Amino acid sequence: MNKKEVFKLAKGFRGRAKNCIRIARERVEKALQYSYRDRRNKKRDMRSLWIQRINAGTRQHGVNYGNFMHGLMKENIQLNRKVLSEISMHEPYSFKALVDVSRSAFPGNKAAVPPKKEGLAILV
Amino acid sequence: MSTAAAAQSFNGNLKASSLFFRISLFIKALAGIRRIDLEGLKWRVFDAKGQVLGRLASHISTVVQGKDKPTYTPNREEGDMCIIINAKDVCVTGRKMTDKFYRWHTGYIGHLKERSLKDQMAKDPTEVIRKAVLRMLPRNKLRDDRDRKLRIFADSEHPFGDRPLEPYDMPPRQVREMRPRARRAMIRAQKKAEQQEQGTTNTRKGKKREEMEPESA
Repeated sequence: MNKKEVFKLAKGFRGRAKNCIRIARERVEKALQYSYRDRRNKKRDMRSLWIQRINAGTRQHGVNYGNFMHGLMKENIQLNRKVLSEISMHEPYSFKALVDVSRSAFPGNKAAVPPKKEGLAILV
Repeated sequence: MSTAAAAQSFNGNLKASSLFFRISLFIKALAGIRRIDLEGLKWRVFDAKGQVLGRLASHISTVVQGKDKPTYTPNREEGDMCIIINAKDVCVTGRKMTDKFYRWHTGYIGHLKERSLKDQMAKDPTEVIRKAVLRMLPRNKLRDDRDRKLRIFADSEHPFGDRPLEPYDMPPRQVREMRPRARRAMIRAQKKAEQQEQGTTNTRKGKKREEMEPESA
């Protein structure tokens, strides 16, 4: 790459890395390496975040993530984690229905009684 | 406003020194609330009475991070406000009361200081739970904000009575079965206590008791 392209990519860098070509070239190379690596890491991180959200949503109903997914697999519900996390965030009633389906398919969490709440009003 | 209300409620009951102490505690408890954006956050109350320290702190840390909500986002801080009461009644298993040490180094050569749990509870019982929870939070930029959301009180009074509080139900604890040696020691201690009781009652009214027992049995 010529200098112009390097400086274009080096916008926002700290100190001399945005102004001086020798330092900028090094930092830009590193930045491109990081972005290559992180395009792959982002997929992992997003999936982990979806799983955390689903876990939180199901634990509100007394089921943990592992048993929930096992129940869904048994019922052959092929919703992926991305969609499940969106449902748990924005559609609480549908998510509760899914949790009930999973619990009927795989009653793993009998010990953990779902916390008593008055109606479904305190879900979100 | 709430400190004035607290002062009025306490006026007739306590001595002046403890009154000032309580008010200073409450002022400290209310410090920094304006820094937190309290929109839509719940106020959860944890009762630490009889709870094991680490297990309680683990649940508190999940609540403070907001990990029990499906809208959890790692870069935003949306945990609930946690109020912990009865901090002086928190339990530990084993010999941790005397053998668990909090250590810190002051920076000077040879100055590694330590304090046992017993001394720390005598000095400031809220610090025990605060340290336990803080050390369970991830060490990132949100840790201080999460610390500000923890309000810990040694006894069961707190100045947040006017807010909508929700108690947190701790899940039932699975207590491990006693180890054989400990169990034998407990049985021996029980038997000894029973024998002592029977021994004292027998010597007091021995004859009458012997007469009574065959009658009742």
